[in-house]
Amino acid sequence: MLFVDDLHLSTTGGTELVHGVSFALAPGEAIGLVGESGSGKTLTCRAILGVPPPGVTVSGGTIRLAGDDVAHYSRRQWDRARGPRIAAVFQDPASYLNPSLTVGRQLGEVLRVKNGLHRRVAKARAVELLASMGLHRPEHVHDQYPYELSGGMLQRVLIAIAVSGDPDLLIADEATTALDVTVQAEVLNLIAALRAERRLSLLLVSHDLAVVAQLCDHVVVLRDGRVVESGPTRQVLDDPADPYTRALVADHREYGLDRLVAR
Amino acid sequence: MTAALEADGVEVRLGRRATTPILHGVDLTARAGEIVGLIGETGSGKTTLARAVVGLAPLHAGAVRVDGTPVSGLRGAELRRFRRGGRVQYVFQDPLRSLDPDVTVLDSVAEGLAVRGEGRAADRRARAVAALEQVGLDPALGDRLPGRLSGGQRQRVTIARALAVDPRVLLLDEPVSALDAANRNHVLRLLDRLRREREVAIVLITHDLGSLAGIADRIVVLYRGRVVEEGPAARVLLEPADPYTQRLIASVPSIDGPRPIYARSTR
Amino acid sequence: MRALRLAVRQRAARIALAVLGVVVLLMITGEWLAPYDPLHQDTTAILAGPSAEHWLGTDYVGRDVLSRLLAGSRLSVIAAAEAVGLGLLLGVLPGLASVYVGRVFEWLSLRVMDGLMALPFIIFAIAVAALLGNGLHQAMFAVGVLMAPSFYRVTRAAAIGLRQAQYVEAATLFGATRWRVVRTHVWQKVLPTVVVTTATAMAGALLVVSSLTFLGIGVQPPAPTWGGMLASDLGYLTQRPFGPVAPALLIIVTVAALNALADAMTVDPATTQEAPDALRR
Repeated sequence: MLFVDDLHLSTTGGTELVHGVSFALAPGEAIGLVGESGSGKTLTCRAILGVPPPGVTVSGGTIRLAGDDVAHYSRRQWDRARGPRIAAVFQDPASYLNPSLTVGRQLGEVLRVKNGLHRRVAKARAVELLASMGLHRPEHVHDQYPYELSGGMLQRVLIAIAVSGDPDLLIADEATTALDVTVQAEVLNLIAALRAERRLSLLLVSHDLAVVAQLCDHVVVLRDGRVVESGPTRQVLDDPADPYTRALVADHREYGLDRLVAR
Repeated sequence: MTAALEADGVEVRLGRRATTPILHGVDLTARAGEIVGLIGETGSGKTTLARAVVGLAPLHAGAVRVDGTPVSGLRGAELRRFRRGGRVQYVFQDPLRSLDPDVTVLDSVAEGLAVRGEGRAADRRARAVAALEQVGLDPALGDRLPGRLSGGQRQRVTIARALAVDPRVLLLDEPVSALDAANRNHVLRLLDRLRREREVAIVLITHDLGSLAGIADRIVVLYRGRVVEEGPAARVLLEPADPYTQRLIASVPSIDGPRPIYARSTR
Repeated sequence: MRALRLAVRQRAARIALAVLGVVVLLMITGEWLAPYDPLHQDTTAILAGPSAEHWLGTDYVGRDVLSRLLAGSRLSVIAAAEAVGLGLLLGVLPGLASVYVGRVFEWLSLRVMDGLMALPFIIFAIAVAALLGNGLHQAMFAVGVLMAPSFYRVTRAAAIGLRQAQYVEAATLFGATRWRVVRTHVWQKVLPTVVVTTATAMAGALLVVSSLTFLGIGVQPPAPTWGGMLASDLGYLTQRPFGPVAPALLIIVTVAALNALADAMTVDPATTQEAPDALRR
């Protein structure tokens, strides 16, 4: 599904930020990308999405999406790929929505442009999608503006937009970090349900190992732009081989409910 | 023994004519050396409660006492004199917004002392450096502007700023929820030390129950402006009585694999 | 002074600063540099063209134009500076006070500034001259008063956004007085906009001084000023068609330099900020 091989990312100044990251994601599989801030997990994600930050370019390696090398895709090729093949949600949903348009209108626009739906059909489909995101009273939500919705509701709307093109791969970059714990649980559940229903592959980026443990089959641990360890989630988290991973897991376990229950 | 911090029946209403109730008579106490976890979701009123306690949000009813002395009625010069004492400190949720972008780290940390007008500038700098070291920051960062620090460093700077005036009561608003595990542990260990060595009364505000386990002595659960549960941390975390608390605890993800709530469909 | 540092990185601003430096130099040394007494009338050479003795020619009573321009620079610039200084004082302080003193002062100052903004510069200056007597200081007083609202508005706009800033709240929680908050936290944020407004206002004031002297208000002849020379030269266009060029050019270049400097300082800092910070967020 997604195949990243020896990916190098550098600034235009020549400083290399990501030094050969490799991993593969099978159809329907979920991989968690973990590491501290500055480890290159978000950079890698953005490169896979074809939107590296300004001044950063792919300086080596390949990114294959369903067999196609996308590392050097043109803008037009990307326009065709985003939606039906790859989609993403991020930490701050509000900044990805236009504050002066209703969320339904923004979802409808994506449906019309990407899926070529007629205006009226698009609206019906938009309400349907919002309903399938577990939003109560979807017709009402459809006509609301972003500021009228809570963070969790906005993230659901963003997920609706992301899956509206029926993508094969969903990238979630710290998508639940800013949410309340209860809302985080609901959104993670939603993603899990969507995975099962749509055979969606998932690339989940998080600094929280516990979040990754809820959803992912495999974990890739990044440090300073390098993969230090990867493998099945339970193996990596229960029996980490790399000292860095061990430190991450130990740090995580030092406080928290798990420790209390264990005592 | 009177508690270091006592807030009784705190009622806060916002809006033009104080029509929107945010807190409906909430009690909060913290004894010297105690860490109280104040937990609630977005909009539960936990930040408003902290702001009301330090006098940033107007009390509609209720009273706040520090070491037994009523402080919620103070105004003007009296209020300033009390605040200069630095007995109660509040650490804002967003370190980026609560640090002046044009003021160096060291000057920010020394601000409380400078306002007090205590000692000479060199002494104040020395105490600010000590506060930076206490939170585990390299004093060499003191000459930087906040924009040149990482999120974790900024968070510690705001804590150092509060510690520099040697408070008796420390309220921290989500001090660890934006941090990765290593930084979170560092801050939590620091709080634990403050409580033991300096007998500071600490109120730890968070939406993440998990970060309270192993550090809080008592937990207060706030839901829609009311306290729905309160008790010793172990009791609240292991045998929650209120359904909302139960849901909160069930929602905390575990590193040991999917928890039951994550297997259930939301629909 | 981040605004100024930022501006110096741009070529236009460096040129503008150089031009302004020359103007200031002229202001200080103009009187000594002048080859002739600016008031001396040479009746043998009236309305003469440029020559070896008179580089820029002579005016309608035979005074050396170059000497008058040089000598006039001090009065022209000082007059403008006087007006801007008064505008700064009457604008910035009430602007800050309107945010930090209280509702009554806020309301009152807003109404007064609204009122001042409705008055036209030239006509107000004429009225003031009629009331207080015709002189440079009276005219500049009038101009300064009318400049106050623009300083008031930019200061207030910059300060009002900071009233709710968390670092201001943090300072208040330490027991800081309003005065201390303004000094340590607000002033630095307000200063760049005030500096920019000052540069723009300086340009405006130079023009107004020129216009007023042109109308015969303010500086009284025979004392030389740029605006005054422009006015008198225009009267002799038929005899000396290039006459107004020199004073006009001086006014234009100085005003343009001030405007260029102001523009350079308003370049959006967000686009020029150091990259690491932007990336981190």
